[in-house]
Amino acid sequence: MMHDLPPGLIMIVGAIFIPFFPRFLQAWFALALSIASAVMLLLIPEGTYGNLQLFDVTLNMVRIDTLSRCFALVFHIAAIVSAIYALHVRDTTQHVAGMLYAGGAIAACCAGDLITLFVFWELTAISSVFLIWASRNEPAYRAGMRYLIIQVGSGVLLLSGAILHYADTGSLAFDLLVEPGERMSTGVLLIFLAFGIKCAFPLMHNWLQDSYPKATVTGTVFLSAFTTKLAVYSLARGFAGTEILIWIGVTMTLFPIMFAVIENDLRKVLAYSLNNQLGFMVVGIGIGTELAINGTVAHAFCHIIYKALLFMSMGAVLYRTGTAKATELGGLHKSMPLTTIFCIIGAGSISGFPLLSGFISKSMILTAAAEEHMFVVWILLLVASAGVMEHSGIKIPFFAFFAHDSGWRVKEAPWNMLLAMGLASALCIGLGIGYQYLYKILPYDMHDLHYEPYTVTHVVTQLQLLLFAALAFVVLIKTGVYPEEMAAINLDSDWVYRRLLPTIIKPVGQAIVATDRWVRGMGRRVLQGANESFEESFSEQGAVGRTWTTSAMAVWAAIILGLCLLLYYL
Amino acid sequence: MDETPPEKHSDNRTSWFEKPGNIRLIILSLIGVCAGLVLAEFFYTNPHPHFDAEKTFGFHAIVGFVAFVTVVFLGKGLRLLIRRREDYYDA
Repeated sequence: MMHDLPPGLIMIVGAIFIPFFPRFLQAWFALALSIASAVMLLLIPEGTYGNLQLFDVTLNMVRIDTLSRCFALVFHIAAIVSAIYALHVRDTTQHVAGMLYAGGAIAACCAGDLITLFVFWELTAISSVFLIWASRNEPAYRAGMRYLIIQVGSGVLLLSGAILHYADTGSLAFDLLVEPGERMSTGVLLIFLAFGIKCAFPLMHNWLQDSYPKATVTGTVFLSAFTTKLAVYSLARGFAGTEILIWIGVTMTLFPIMFAVIENDLRKVLAYSLNNQLGFMVVGIGIGTELAINGTVAHAFCHIIYKALLFMSMGAVLYRTGTAKATELGGLHKSMPLTTIFCIIGAGSISGFPLLSGFISKSMILTAAAEEHMFVVWILLLVASAGVMEHSGIKIPFFAFFAHDSGWRVKEAPWNMLLAMGLASALCIGLGIGYQYLYKILPYDMHDLHYEPYTVTHVVTQLQLLLFAALAFVVLIKTGVYPEEMAAINLDSDWVYRRLLPTIIKPVGQAIVATDRWVRGMGRRVLQGANESFEESFSEQGAVGRTWTTSAMAVWAAIILGLCLLLYYL
Repeated sequence: MDETPPEKHSDNRTSWFEKPGNIRLIILSLIGVCAGLVLAEFFYTNPHPHFDAEKTFGFHAIVGFVAFVTVVFLGKGLRLLIRRREDYYDA
């Protein structure tokens, strides 16, 4: 019976009761909910539960297998760490939204059919927007609106796709939706697009960089974990081995790097970096071999933790100084030494330094590409890895905590933030060293794949890549070539719907209003004219209404009679 | 947001990382380690190279350096096209 309820449901239902707690207890209750939900997940054995008969369709609400368990597990870790990070927050909205969102994502990744997936997919969209709106300012409100429209749009595509797919195949099961090499049906294509929007595919990506940096300090940490990785999970489930994903993924690893280099808002840099990391996972799904899928899942697992860590460290800086802009920061290692250390651990993990988590996961995807002899893909991923070193490995810690002293003398982050960052850091190191424990829970048996991350070649070549990238940074800084940080924004594809479309639509709208006014005016004038002439004709002096003289009437009567006579005669 | 009001007042407190001698030390050690990493190739061979390129001496070092510089220059070029004032969308 317990197993029939979706994992994460306790967080969703519990979230409704959060407002009834006193303010200082709400955050603790949210943390308790996350922990309780994690324990319940660990108690469910693999299998499918919660079959529900709806008309003549059977829905399968809970499917626990190696793939969904991995994602559900790391989602719980993210929820717990984020809840600790938010313990100081006294804002009911954020706690309720955070729990609904995390619970929804967990339930979604354990859904066995497309309808259940859709329901929780939309729940994550509707709940998460409140984490953006909770900033309670105009830019956040507007960005939240754009975010909501795009996210709900993704859900609508998913539902439409599911219905068409059901009409085609008679099945709503959420399994592999298209065999590698086969053409997608319209329904499956719609589902693919729905996943693509949430996964921030190129040109569908900009909701991420638009909204995440505008969310609250703690809200962004929640946001960074769930939406996009739910999409990665869904792609891995439904589209493993779909070749186009390789090229979509490679593009995703490359183009955000350039934007990250010149971005001033460090939380936005992290949003671009997040986009780039998703690219590695999408490539892995596209390759679709056992090693590649394991690499994708492992990378998502490690990534959720180090990305949350990086967002937490920048959140702590924002919380203390009120800004996350590189131009206004620098030298904070003197005021926030622990946050600095945690940030560097996160930066080292995302860059893939040996002994940290990124090293043992990203390399699986690169090796998978190499084993399939995809030279171009492999070399582009290497380039992207050097790019990660640029924006997340160096830029984030350097401009926030070192560079020039910006003069901030602030307190270290609050204890709960430090605890959350400490836990995430410990996990980054733990996964880097004790990688066997992660490899054990991956979808495919790692013993059969003969993959070993810590070989002399791998350690040396990876260090070469990263440290020579660091050397390039030193050279560029010393020669003054490195682009200085500027208080400016950079346009991205959101320009299309924030500027281009409104400028096109405005004149069109004005033309419609003008035409409408002219037509109405004409109509009114015609009616008015008719009215006036009727009034005139039927008035006492009018041709029709006036009293005629007897002689005039006699003349007219004589004329009419004359005409009748004439007609009769003819 | 619920942060405490930030304090901003410069003092002349310098840390270990701000002393020019130490910065030079960090840079020199980085150069040293980089040299060591390339020289390390004389002492092992890649048992399973997938591509010929991997057999090139210092291949990953070259990729790391060149890719980093390329990315930065592309970023600089991109900035010329897409940089706008901070209040661009508010206007």
